[in-house]
Amino acid sequence: MTRTPAWRRYLTFWRSPIPQDVDDELRFHVNMRVREYMARGMSEPEARRAVAERLGDVASAKSECVQLGHARARNARNAALLDALAGDLRYAIRGLRARPGFSASIVLTLGLGVGANATMFGIIDRLLFRTPAFLIAPERTGRLYVSRLTNGTDVADSHMGYKRFANLRTATHSFDVMAPFFAFKLPVGTGESTRQMDVGMTTADLWAMFFAKPAIGRFFDASADTPPNGEKVVVLSYAFWQTQFGGRNDVLGSPIDIGPDRYTVIGVAPAGFDAFARTPLVGIIPVAAAASAFAPNRSWHLTYSSQWLQEVFVRRKIGITPAAADADLTVALARSWESQRAEGRGLLRLPPLTIARPHAFAGPVLADRGPNESSEAKVATWLGGVALIVLLIACANVANLLLARAFTRRREIAVRLALGISRSRLLAQLMIESIVLAVVGTTAGIVLAQWAGMAVGAQLLTNVRLASALTDSRMLGYCALVAICTGLLTGLAPAMYARRTDITTALKTGGRDGTMRRSRVQLGLLFLQAALSVVLLVGAGLFLRSLANVKSLRLGYDADRLIWVHVDNRGVPLDSAQEVALRTTLLERVKTLPGVTAAARGLSIPFFQAHYTYLHVDGLDSLSKLGRFSLQVGTPELFQTMGTRIVRGRGFTSDDRNGSPRSMVVSVAMAKRIWPTEDPIGKCMHVSADTTPCFTIVGVAEDIHQTTFAEPALHYYVPFDQMEPNYNHGGLFVRTEGATAVQAERVRQELQRSMPGASYVTATPLSIIVGDKARSWKLGASLFTAFGGLALLIAAVGLYSVIAYGVTQRMHEMGVRVAMGARSPDLVRLVVGEGIRVVVPGVCLGVVVALAAGRRIAPLLFNVSPTDPRIVSAVIAVLLVTALVASLVPAARAARADPNDALRD
Amino acid sequence: MSNPKIEVLRGTLDLLILKAVSWAPTHGYAVAQWIERATNDVLRIEEGTLYPALHRLENRGWISAEWGRSENNQRAKFYSLTAKGRAQLRVEAMSWTRYSNAIFAALEAPPKPT
Repeated sequence: MTRTPAWRRYLTFWRSPIPQDVDDELRFHVNMRVREYMARGMSEPEARRAVAERLGDVASAKSECVQLGHARARNARNAALLDALAGDLRYAIRGLRARPGFSASIVLTLGLGVGANATMFGIIDRLLFRTPAFLIAPERTGRLYVSRLTNGTDVADSHMGYKRFANLRTATHSFDVMAPFFAFKLPVGTGESTRQMDVGMTTADLWAMFFAKPAIGRFFDASADTPPNGEKVVVLSYAFWQTQFGGRNDVLGSPIDIGPDRYTVIGVAPAGFDAFARTPLVGIIPVAAAASAFAPNRSWHLTYSSQWLQEVFVRRKIGITPAAADADLTVALARSWESQRAEGRGLLRLPPLTIARPHAFAGPVLADRGPNESSEAKVATWLGGVALIVLLIACANVANLLLARAFTRRREIAVRLALGISRSRLLAQLMIESIVLAVVGTTAGIVLAQWAGMAVGAQLLTNVRLASALTDSRMLGYCALVAICTGLLTGLAPAMYARRTDITTALKTGGRDGTMRRSRVQLGLLFLQAALSVVLLVGAGLFLRSLANVKSLRLGYDADRLIWVHVDNRGVPLDSAQEVALRTTLLERVKTLPGVTAAARGLSIPFFQAHYTYLHVDGLDSLSKLGRFSLQVGTPELFQTMGTRIVRGRGFTSDDRNGSPRSMVVSVAMAKRIWPTEDPIGKCMHVSADTTPCFTIVGVAEDIHQTTFAEPALHYYVPFDQMEPNYNHGGLFVRTEGATAVQAERVRQELQRSMPGASYVTATPLSIIVGDKARSWKLGASLFTAFGGLALLIAAVGLYSVIAYGVTQRMHEMGVRVAMGARSPDLVRLVVGEGIRVVVPGVCLGVVVALAAGRRIAPLLFNVSPTDPRIVSAVIAVLLVTALVASLVPAARAARADPNDALRD
Repeated sequence: MSNPKIEVLRGTLDLLILKAVSWAPTHGYAVAQWIERATNDVLRIEEGTLYPALHRLENRGWISAEWGRSENNQRAKFYSLTAKGRAQLRVEAMSWTRYSNAIFAALEAPPKPT
């Protein structure tokens, strides 16, 4: 017989009572039956046997009962927990409603913090994380890039011609699908209602990359995108169908004017489908239909030099590694490259493979994740970090407020502990209180984010469609996560405090404890807040400075007073003479309009379209090594209209006609580049061909910024009348007085009357075109300032409330001090000194961090050093003044301390 | 115990238990005894299955349990009907009566006319 080891006996102590109870219950039954049978005259063994027989399978009955018992116990526990939770929730809500000011300040602080975060999350998610809706296999889908060595650096470009795309498609075998996609602004509609809107272009292969099914009608198939002409059919976007056609089913088959052609609606894409576009589309048309309108010579798909450019998207086959696919692409590209070299002649000829070292690869689908990340995305990433810092500051504040309240509630907590509440229940209660605050704060934050997102979308990131904070599941998920984290984070400090509360001391001293010191946690949080505020404000200063620098930069023209009028023939056939005649008519017409002070024709548009052509100076070998020279062709009033000053010599006059000696004006930068030591006036240059007579330089114009703010363009001007007819298009620059936006619309309406057939004009204030290029600084400046200001405000409130609270607690001590002979200024100095003492180390740390981080954002700034001492010292001053003000208010109260109160207590 | 006994259907056992505990708190042994007597000892239940059935009903909230002392002062678990259980008893009793009436009617029916 084996002996039961001694330790086994102790197991009964821990054994759950459930099996025991089941045993007891059944034993009672057996005993009763046995007694009953024995009473009928059976012997005990007989009775037991009979009872066992009657019971049947006792073991399985027992185990079933035990299982049921456990289930019951579990349910009971859960119900009790739920009950307690509901109780705590009610208690928390009651407590928060009893102090509306306290609760509101916390909700507002958290709301601002969460709102800032949700807004930035929306932007960053859209730019960097959210793959296009309906995309089938995002991890295998990519955007195609061709990269080549240019002046020693590898430059990747995702734009390529149709021929290149066709080469790559036929010569590679690593991809399921390879489809071009490109969104382009085209006039949509007829007559007065014509608007420039984004239209997507692709081949029928695109549909295979998405789960999307047409809402009505069908998508176009491969027969519609066969070069050269394709079919003029369009798949409308759901939103456009709803807004422009009222969601009617009979839209199928109806005509719609897109660009120069009339298209037939064959289907509607599902709601939310924009293919690879970031902005809402009117619809999607076959690439062949669009390209044939742009390059009507029927060979746009056959030559590499075609003007038609597009982006290409691919999906790798399953089992093909990205490296293998890229190698496959690069081999195909090399072959395509060689055949392009065979086609090109003279200057247009590509450099050989060994020099350009071209390679192709499939980059991330999202453009901002790829090699050509926009500055907006970089700035947005920084701002995302900034928003997190704001949230941390807000959390610190809320934690501080809750901590302060935990001090005042010491007595209440001690009483409850004394009455026997378990510490874990107490902790749960405090946690629930902060979670309730976090949830309410987050809700406020979501509402704020919705509003802020709309403002950012309308003012700053007009080229990106942002998700709505109220309805987007990713946004709401993020906010929920933030709510839980902030709830735990802010609840931690007071909970830790409550855990340590010593019942007896707390009960003895009650709410009045003259010797109480602010906890180290509280001071640490204030220190951190000050440091973070400094970092954010320095960032704000740097971006504001950059924006101001961009704005005050002399562009070389008055962007604020100019309107660019674009003329689109839209299929109306005009020969060269008619083109000129039309523009002359428009020019004469626009000059007669009220508010128009000057007008001229021009070919290149700053920050939108620059023209380059062959340029040669006798005696200079290779001009192209000196830089790229951009061409402007204009009528004599161009300089006056643009506001570009002539520095030396003269501008154009009406004498610079066809047949008279050819004249040219160059920019200061260009003159310096080509003739660093000589006088450019009187020099002669050949434009576009060596064989034609050269243009004599008659004047030097001030520098203009044509493609970038960083440096002025190497720019030259020639008169329209003296240039070959194929340059004789372009549009009109109009200089106006008053509000340019209003003037632009008036100009458009007036000029539209002179347009033949379906042709039309658009009028755009130049400030919009230029302003778009300053977007990243605008984004950085406005959001950094908003966040920095927010952080400062929150930190100031935090400092104020902690100091004010400290003063309230120490009024007794202050009274004693007054009784001992301290005067009001002494008390003020005491309190203010304390506030400053907390802030100064924080400011020091903040400056160090800001200087370190500054180096990394330097590339995003404009003409400002990241360690600009003026900005740093201004921020330090702002922080110190804020700390001073925040502590002066409570200091004033301390100064009024009444010694009588102290003595009476 | 020579007369042949009928096996109790599972659903029926629940009904009988609900009825057995419907007057006063009753322990398992008393439930078994009551079923025996009330059915004139015709139904045979394997008493082992009685207890899992009781616990199942308890988990459903139809009966509640409490430990107490039996008539002979032994520790025993007493079951009593809850409000929810009483409603259930009414429903089940009614449907059982309709069911048995229907079977009776069918058995008593005249032969099919030819």
